[in-house]
Amino acid sequence: MGLALSIAQREASLGREGALILRAPIEAFLREVEARAYRIALVHIRDRDEALDIVQDAMIRLVNRYAKRPSEEWAPLFYRILQNRIRDIQRRRAVRSRVLSFFGGTASEDEHDPIVEAPAPRTENPLEQVTAGDAMEAVERALRELPARQREAFMLRNFEGLDVAETAVAMGCTEGSVKTHYSRAVHRLRDMLREHGEEQSNE
Amino acid sequence: MSDETNATDFEQRTKHAFDDSVAALDGATRSRLTQARHRALEELPSQHRAPWRALVPAGALAATALVAALFVWQRPQTQNPVRETALVDLEILLGEEDLEMLDEELEFYGWIEQQPEFASATDSVG
Repeated sequence: MGLALSIAQREASLGREGALILRAPIEAFLREVEARAYRIALVHIRDRDEALDIVQDAMIRLVNRYAKRPSEEWAPLFYRILQNRIRDIQRRRAVRSRVLSFFGGTASEDEHDPIVEAPAPRTENPLEQVTAGDAMEAVERALRELPARQREAFMLRNFEGLDVAETAVAMGCTEGSVKTHYSRAVHRLRDMLREHGEEQSNE
Repeated sequence: MSDETNATDFEQRTKHAFDDSVAALDGATRSRLTQARHRALEELPSQHRAPWRALVPAGALAATALVAALFVWQRPQTQNPVRETALVDLEILLGEEDLEMLDEELEFYGWIEQQPEFASATDSVG
């Protein structure tokens, strides 16, 4: 977030032409958030292609509708669009699941592919990768056990580093609700991951 | 260690795990994200438009209105036969000569209409 802001301020002070002032900061902002937004969407949606589509859609909508807004507003607006798109997909899946189960099928067959979801290995230090990958996998599993609003609050506050006010805008709720959701999420996650750690050490 | 310290430590570790997973994204995914970003930036409204281009929508609207007005004005009057007949009737009724003719020959036209041998001929006309 800070990078995008500093570029915007610098270019504004240079007094370049309008389109340059508009394009460079928003491009920097998108470059900064795209990978993180994709990971957040992937945790929720668990499908690479759909997660990429969601991120692209959120970027297009931000540029289309809010490019001229002050750059300080981009992050909460972008994550609000992203969360709405994620919820849309989840609602659609829930409906599809209900319809399929009504007709005796299962909706989960094409939704979860652990091979597709597995993060690509990094080349620097394989041992470190395994440990970090395991940790995130455990966090993701625990996150999926949380109610949706707690999960959103945790990911926006903790992963994305949005403050309470920005998270409230992104989630479309009050700051008080954000604090409550986040606090509950932290406690539940910590308990779940502690249990997970104990199970691992017992095996 | 207090509960609050534990929470902070836990938050840092989860954040670290997430950052690592973002850093571990493969090249193909990053490439697709770059494409998505470029696609989004194409939506950026251009600010280098010539001033006269602001008048294009108004001009297009005025041209459309003009064409529509010309079309209505130039439209042939034969499209509605009933309306045309009514106008002709009105013309006949308003003409003095025709009214005189009707007055003189009215009995004759009434009689000829009642004749069966003329009925088919008058029906087939027009």
